[in-house]
Amino acid sequence: MLNEERVILMTKMASYEEKEGKKNVAIGNYFRGDYIGIQVLKSIFCATVAYVIGFALFIFYDFEVFMQDLYKMDLITFAGNVLLWYALTVVAYGIVSYAVYSYRYTKTKKSLKVYYHNLKKLNSLYDE
Amino acid sequence: MTGLLELREKIKIFYSKYEVFILPVVKFLLAFVVLNTLNGQLGYMTQLDNIAIVLIAALVCSFLPVGGIIFFAVVFSLLHMYALSMEVALVGGCMYLLMFLLFFRFSPKESLVVVLTPILFVLKIPYIMPVAMGLLGTPASMVSVGCGVAVYYLMITISTNAPTINTMGTDEISAKLRLLIDGILNDKAMLVMITAFAITVMVVYLIRRMSVDYSWTIAVIAGAMINMLILLLGDLLYDTNISVVGVIIGAVVAVFAGKVIEFFRLCLDYSRTEKVQFEDDEYYYYVKAVPKMSVAAPTKTVKKINEQKRTSMQQMRSGGTVRRTVSSSGTGSSRSVTTERTGTGRSTTQRGQTAYTRRNDYSGSGRSVTINSNNMTTDRDTDDYEELF
Repeated sequence: MLNEERVILMTKMASYEEKEGKKNVAIGNYFRGDYIGIQVLKSIFCATVAYVIGFALFIFYDFEVFMQDLYKMDLITFAGNVLLWYALTVVAYGIVSYAVYSYRYTKTKKSLKVYYHNLKKLNSLYDE
Repeated sequence: MTGLLELREKIKIFYSKYEVFILPVVKFLLAFVVLNTLNGQLGYMTQLDNIAIVLIAALVCSFLPVGGIIFFAVVFSLLHMYALSMEVALVGGCMYLLMFLLFFRFSPKESLVVVLTPILFVLKIPYIMPVAMGLLGTPASMVSVGCGVAVYYLMITISTNAPTINTMGTDEISAKLRLLIDGILNDKAMLVMITAFAITVMVVYLIRRMSVDYSWTIAVIAGAMINMLILLLGDLLYDTNISVVGVIIGAVVAVFAGKVIEFFRLCLDYSRTEKVQFEDDEYYYYVKAVPKMSVAAPTKTVKKINEQKRTSMQQMRSGGTVRRTVSSSGTGSSRSVTTERTGTGRSTTQRGQTAYTRRNDYSGSGRSVTINSNNMTTDRDTDDYEELF
């Protein structure tokens, strides 16, 4: 026999799973540290690519002058400056990413709490 | 106001009923406008500047998620830039890539703002965007609106410098890059616009979240004024050549648009018809969940029930005339209900019974019920009608 209460609950849960639930369940499968760690690593990779693009544009902006100056400049100091700016970029972006993904993980866990509560309720309805 | 509320309900009902058809049509129209605007602004690749190609691309976008419009807009603009010069496409591509890597990776939903902001600039109503995003978005919308402004000024820089770039030789790669990068980074108008829009988004967001009456209205007006103030201040300080009249008219339009968004905000978050599939050990379920409509479309009903007969002896014996008038008015609705009974004695009819159920059992006395209503809900109608009896 069809149980009306069960169907309503399952419909609500299926609707949630189809929308934000899909993403939230995937996030909820991670431990907090793992999730944030992976996302921050991805952010560091993206920041590195963005820095390389920015640096390439900087070089090509005045390529002739740069090539002329290349033999005169202190390459070690120049490389040091480039690395310092890279480190600053990555650290700043990493901190922002950490904050964003920490907040997102906490929010997702709260949302999933209701979902898991409904899951338990559904289970108890089947046991009746 | 009542008429507007009715209109809103009608739009809501219409949209929820035909959402499957409306959404692709809206996406098609949006993609068509975006791609046509791009062709109008850049249009260096003559093969792309063709209505058939735009129509096909818009048609494809109508079946894809919203990201499809952004994808086609990026591809179209890069192809136009490439047709002008490879270096221009390189700068444009780098800018898009930086935006994606640094910001839109976090909130892909906001990427539509980057497409809509240049369109609003072309339509001369860009001041709507920061107010709208302050009302509907988050503080992160500051960045997306800023990116939208940067994209518009990139297009402006390209179209301004296009004749110079065309005269340059293919070997002047560095000079072309320099021309474009200088054009973008030294554009004071762009920097002032980004600053004004970012601050406006933040101000509108902060005020509309405050727990005060009319917070949305205050936020819209304060946002439009601050936007206007910063733009005029920027014009004074950096001589950005921003049209003062344009800014003032834009602020008025932004306030109007903000009020429209405020009015329709509840419609943006309504429960839709859901079609879900799931299974358990015994059944497969294919469920279509249709949300209940709390407010029905207004109907004007006049019911006159005369010569009703009752079997109740008390009613038959009743003489004289009792006249009762019940009127109620709520937000956006007014109604009056009048009952007239001829006869003597008192009615002992139980509350909850309707005239329909008793009509045929009536005899010996005349009875008339008149109901006039404006914008009343179906549910309330029934309740009040029953309450009367």
